[in-house]
Amino acid sequence: MVVAAVGMSLLGAACSRQARPEVTLRFWNGFTGPDGRPMQQLVKQFNRENPDIRIIMQRMDWYTYYNKLFVAGIGGRAPEVFIIHASNIPRFIHADFLRPVDDLLEKEMGLDPKDFFPSAWNAAGYEGKQYGIPLDISIHGMYYNKTLFRAAGIVDEAGEPRPPRNQREFMEALRKLTLDRDGDGDTDQWGFVFNNTRNSILVLMVQFGGMFFDRDNQQCLLNSERNVRALTWCRDLIHQEKLVPSPENFTAWLGFRQGNVAMVFEGIYMLADLRKQTDLDYGVAPIPTIGEQPATLASSHIVCLRRDLKDSELQAACRFVRFLTDHSLDWAQGGQIPARLSLLETPRFRSMEAQSTFARQLDHVFYEPNQPFNNQFDTEFNEAVEKALRNSESPKAALDRAVENTQRAIRRYYDQWDQAKHSSSEPGAGL
Amino acid sequence: MNQRRNFFPRCSGWIFVLPFLILFSAFLLTPLLYGLALSFFNWEMLSPAPAQFIGWGNFREALHSDRFWASTLATARFVIMATPATVGLSLALALGINTIQGRRQAFYRASYFLPGLLSISVAGLLWTWFYNGEFGLFNAYLEKIGIKIPWLTSTSWAMKSIVIMSLWWCLGGATIILLAGRQQISQSLYEAASIDGAGALSSLWHITIPQMRPVLLFVTVTNIIGSFQVFGQTYIITRGGPEDSTRVLVQYIYETAFLHYRMGYGSAMCWLLFAFIAFFSVIQFMAMKERR
Repeated sequence: MVVAAVGMSLLGAACSRQARPEVTLRFWNGFTGPDGRPMQQLVKQFNRENPDIRIIMQRMDWYTYYNKLFVAGIGGRAPEVFIIHASNIPRFIHADFLRPVDDLLEKEMGLDPKDFFPSAWNAAGYEGKQYGIPLDISIHGMYYNKTLFRAAGIVDEAGEPRPPRNQREFMEALRKLTLDRDGDGDTDQWGFVFNNTRNSILVLMVQFGGMFFDRDNQQCLLNSERNVRALTWCRDLIHQEKLVPSPENFTAWLGFRQGNVAMVFEGIYMLADLRKQTDLDYGVAPIPTIGEQPATLASSHIVCLRRDLKDSELQAACRFVRFLTDHSLDWAQGGQIPARLSLLETPRFRSMEAQSTFARQLDHVFYEPNQPFNNQFDTEFNEAVEKALRNSESPKAALDRAVENTQRAIRRYYDQWDQAKHSSSEPGAGL
Repeated sequence: MNQRRNFFPRCSGWIFVLPFLILFSAFLLTPLLYGLALSFFNWEMLSPAPAQFIGWGNFREALHSDRFWASTLATARFVIMATPATVGLSLALALGINTIQGRRQAFYRASYFLPGLLSISVAGLLWTWFYNGEFGLFNAYLEKIGIKIPWLTSTSWAMKSIVIMSLWWCLGGATIILLAGRQQISQSLYEAASIDGAGALSSLWHITIPQMRPVLLFVTVTNIIGSFQVFGQTYIITRGGPEDSTRVLVQYIYETAFLHYRMGYGSAMCWLLFAFIAFFSVIQFMAMKERR
């Protein structure tokens, strides 16, 4: 009787075990916008097709995401799989959160690094090791209002709006598109507005030939002559030419959606936002070459694995990563460019008109500076740009101060690094 | 038996406060002391280097940092503008509401209290739209009479706008407390005063204000403490801009600790903020005591 009961219960356990997934992985990301839905669909599909694995996705907005991820990591409760932006890779490496994936690529994931867009692939690498798989290429481009272009007569022979390609055409377009429609002395239609000012200025600085750090990441080069020239050009556009409003809180994106702004530089991720709007005739184009060389900013969402995964978790995670990158066209549909070169060639991607227009800029993208002291650099950069564009300080003086403060952060960082090398304690050890 | 009987009365107080004491120690006292210890260490949360004891180093760095003083100044500007306005307006409102009787009084009390029930993120986002220079509600109406105010875009206006929003958001709480204080005053004092020929103003000055002094002290002190800790409004509405004019101390501390992960330095600034608040609170208590 007892034997039978034990037998039955064992049988029961075995049955339920078969039905229940063997491995559960937590997958965190910051896709709380329109990009959340395609990702959720992918997770659902994976769970359906892989009954032995269960992915639980958790989304938080990017602002709070990194804090939570870091705190979870320090407390030993980080998710098994998570997404971070390429520029954050070094900080996560130094905090010892990430598992290098070099040994998993071929065998476990079945991925060929050569099939990835090189800049995106490299953005997930650091000091010779690969720390994640880039999912996409999030690139900046120009959005323009076709109706306003037609009204201003900026059209080609066929009568189609002709977005500017260089500085001369850009300035011409600006002059034609910046209007005082009701004649009250106030401009109420702007040709161009700085939206996402930080990224727009980064793009222009690189177009003018500027760099942000030296090769060894020891010296911040933000106040170089070329960067100063780029920022001065932007300031003059506002205060001398008076063709662009000061980027104070003029929410340019809102203005663009309302049809009061003709051109903005923004990320590809805004496509999803525009698609909801049916009364706006917009187009996308590469960012015009305003400086000496074409350039635009890109970033990638990198799928990363926690450092200390168990074998079963690791295998499951590899399958999931493989699935995500194999299905990155579904992901791209929402407004992204897949990082896999083989997918860029497919008719399906080519049929995504806006995405493939953005992808025309792939030859000259640059990735955000990725240093462990990136946040400090960002703080200083934003402040300097704000002061210069509001004309409360000269571009040179503002950038000089930014460099001085960033250097302090760099010094502090290397001091700590040296100290860590000398101390015998485990990496990541806190108080 | 006898022992047992003695035990309970002696310990019953402790048993009653125990749940609070446990929570207080676990979630306030321990982190507070941990933070105090941390403020003497150089510890970057994500750095591979272990925490290093640097004595007063973090405090020295703060006191020599332009950013620290700029954000202290921004905080001070908020306190100076917000506290007198809150106390003054809520006193006026409380006295006004007090003259209304019955259900209408309850209605006004509730309507002034209502905004405070919104979370700061909701209230903040709402006001960001109101204040928007180009497409916002306020300027849409003001432009009809030819005025355009750079609510959040000018360094001289931004903090004022934050103060106005804060008034709307937290006036209700102070009003309710002051109203309760006003209603504690015995009606006989006013009757006696009116027999002696006192007018409304002299009743206010000689009866209402002196009688309400403890409540006023409470509202002022809690307001100053709250104002020193202002964060949500500026973080959501202006993110500290334009040109750092609204980057208050708590926001600077938050950024230092949770954006740059400099935990030791962040803790040190927290304790400096605590010192400021304690200093002003003590001064206020002393001033009020002396007058009594």
